[in-house]
Amino acid sequence: MTSAPTVSEDSGFAAWKEDARKRRTKNWILLGATILVLLWCIHDTIMFDTDWERMGVLGVGTAIGRFFDIDWSLLPRLVVPAIETLMIATLGTILGCLFSLPVAWLGAANVTPSKLIAYPIGRFLMVLSRSIHEIIWALLFVGAVGLGALPGILAVAMRSVGFISKITAEAIENIDSKPVEAIRAVGGNQFQVMYYGIVPQILPVIIGTIIFEWDINIRRSAVMGLVGAGGLGLLFFRQMAMFNYGGVTLVVLTVLLLVALGEVVSHFARKAVI
Amino acid sequence: MTVSVTRTPSAKITWSRYRHPASTIRFSVILLILCFLAYSVHFLNIDLARIVGAFPRLATILATRYVPPDMGYVVEPAFVRSVIRTLEMSLLGGFFGVLISIPLAWMAARNITISRKIAYPLGRFSIIGCRSIHETIWTILFVTVLGFGMLAGTLALTLFCIGFAGKLFSDELEAIDMGPVEALRSAGGTPLQVFQWGVIPQIRVAFTGIAIYTWDVAFRAATVVGFFGGGGMGWYLKRTTQQLETTRVAAILLVIIGMVLMAEIGSSWLRSRINKMK
Amino acid sequence: MRHDLVSNMSGGAGITRSGLAPPLLDVQGLGVRYSANGPQILKDVSFSVSGGDFCAVIGPSGAGKSTLIRCINRLVEPIEGSITLFGQDVRKLQGTGLRHMRRRIGMIFQEFNLVNRMSVMDNVLSGRLGYIGPFRSFFKAFPKADVDHALYLLERVGLQDHIAKRADALSGGQRQRVGIARALMQRPELLLLDEPTSALDPKISRDVMGLIRELADELHVPVLCNIHDVELALETCNRIIGMQDGYKKFDGPTAGMRKQDLDEIYSMEVL
Repeated sequence: MTSAPTVSEDSGFAAWKEDARKRRTKNWILLGATILVLLWCIHDTIMFDTDWERMGVLGVGTAIGRFFDIDWSLLPRLVVPAIETLMIATLGTILGCLFSLPVAWLGAANVTPSKLIAYPIGRFLMVLSRSIHEIIWALLFVGAVGLGALPGILAVAMRSVGFISKITAEAIENIDSKPVEAIRAVGGNQFQVMYYGIVPQILPVIIGTIIFEWDINIRRSAVMGLVGAGGLGLLFFRQMAMFNYGGVTLVVLTVLLLVALGEVVSHFARKAVI
Repeated sequence: MTVSVTRTPSAKITWSRYRHPASTIRFSVILLILCFLAYSVHFLNIDLARIVGAFPRLATILATRYVPPDMGYVVEPAFVRSVIRTLEMSLLGGFFGVLISIPLAWMAARNITISRKIAYPLGRFSIIGCRSIHETIWTILFVTVLGFGMLAGTLALTLFCIGFAGKLFSDELEAIDMGPVEALRSAGGTPLQVFQWGVIPQIRVAFTGIAIYTWDVAFRAATVVGFFGGGGMGWYLKRTTQQLETTRVAAILLVIIGMVLMAEIGSSWLRSRINKMK
Repeated sequence: MRHDLVSNMSGGAGITRSGLAPPLLDVQGLGVRYSANGPQILKDVSFSVSGGDFCAVIGPSGAGKSTLIRCINRLVEPIEGSITLFGQDVRKLQGTGLRHMRRRIGMIFQEFNLVNRMSVMDNVLSGRLGYIGPFRSFFKAFPKADVDHALYLLERVGLQDHIAKRADALSGGQRQRVGIARALMQRPELLLLDEPTSALDPKISRDVMGLIRELADELHVPVLCNIHDVELALETCNRIIGMQDGYKKFDGPTAGMRKQDLDEIYSMEVL
């Protein structure tokens, strides 16, 4: 019988087994803790709150069934709201892009006018824009400009600023200084250095980001009907108010279709720009 | 002595900035977009002057009616409980959403999906479906079927997370190194084994980061689903908005912003820690 | 030592410093330090360049060659000394004055410094930016004379088939030719070369330096060149300035350079 190969206790097989055991223990503890937390959450939220009488399969089944009775008569009335939603998305994105430029300029470490004051302000604005839900933005703007398409557009714009300015600031921070140096050496002024040296480097990134955000904004614009912005969101709320569940389904499907289309357009447009 | 005379090229070389078809296409697209924008402004009856006036007016309204925020309202136990419940909803929605999205993302990844004909379209469609519909619309739909309350809100958040995480996961999966996958397949592994031993080790770090990011976004959505009947602190927002109790609205908004900012800081710190660890 | 090319160099105002015309570029006591506590990169350097000079600055790494070149058009700020170019004190120039000076100086860079996403043509045209106003700049509407001259230069450097391509679609040697064309678009009165061939392989390097030499002779433009390859320098240039550790160690015509001069310049260089 051959004897087992001698290995030092600090390395090799024994150490690996020990590591594996420690890892397994850690994983079990983690799993246990997660399950406990989840069970508590379920208890505290769903168990507490739900109207269990309605929960019978029959009740739920009937409720869902109503959605499947699609109201096809609504079909022709979908076109205009769909275009309206696209309009809100597009206007909101363009407006958001305009707002993003100064914020990106403030928040880019190499071009910001002051690293102590302007830079943190720029970064804070970026985070603020992303943290406030578009519904909240919409509510704030309704107070300022009333109902209609405008608060919806402004809400979408403000929400987009965060992402667009963040990517733009990063692009500005990552520019190659060599073309900039060349334009300075040629005798170019500030504007020429920026326009010929910096802009060609960052423009494709910025446009790609705008197209990407436009696609996401289609989804957001659809709910701006809450503030009377029109579009598919308004149609959705109206159909719900009339309890026309079959119509609601159709509207939701249209939103789905619109977002999918936006995704396809965005994919090809971004390829063309890069 | 400098060269002041301009030389000219030999006759056959010319150059023009306008090049067909590339320049034509570019100009047409830009023109189309501008026309669309102009028409949109007209069609939606937007007064451009009001855009400029919107921010000063917003600032005035905030300064007069929203300040000082009624912080006493937000420390009431009922409200605090709703905040905790909002957090719990976001945890549940995030957890189950991420969990369900993993197999869906697997199906929706072109390179490792089980079957290109069935699983791939199914996975893709599910994720797109969940993603395209705004979380507030999901909330309203679930409330209609299940009644007001946190079940509807949590399910809405779950579906939202499936869509959000699913897209990020499937993008990540499509970018993996196929080498280990190929090796395991050729060794005769089942799809599940290939996934567990060939795919998961590669994407573990990225997935954890995505999961944390998803929770962060889910929390932001969770603060608002109560507005539409989904439970949580959003319900208080709705009540105070409708009753025009603007100082209370301000207080709630401050709490929301504060918590979201904390969640953002926490999640980005956690993600950078994880990236450094592994 | 290769003297063949050197002895054929035709001069304008001549190579000697005691020559008849005042030098185009006169540098006295130049000193450069990048930071207050850092080492002094250039120490009391003086030399002059006249028309007809194709002057190489050689020396081991860290000798301050690149810094010297970049001081001339003030891409680097000296801390002491004077630089007199075209009769003006370069160090006193600000804003518009500095730009007007820079547009008379053509510069060719080691890493080409092209705007990668722009076409070859636009890169060459950008050499004229110092001469065109804001509207023309914004709409990229360069005068026809400039476009013709650009086409001529592109043909001259052999890139007539690549005019509309993006700059990053070209090979290294081709990109440097674009750089050459851009520098010459300025109709410069002085050419500065900062290691123009370091990023190119040996054969291409020779072609590029030969081309620059040819064009400089044809257009009567003096050249100050920072070059790493000593042999190439001795082949192409008619004057050598040898630098070591921030000091000028040698200054004279190539023909007058002896092996011991070369050894002295490079004596500190570790293998």
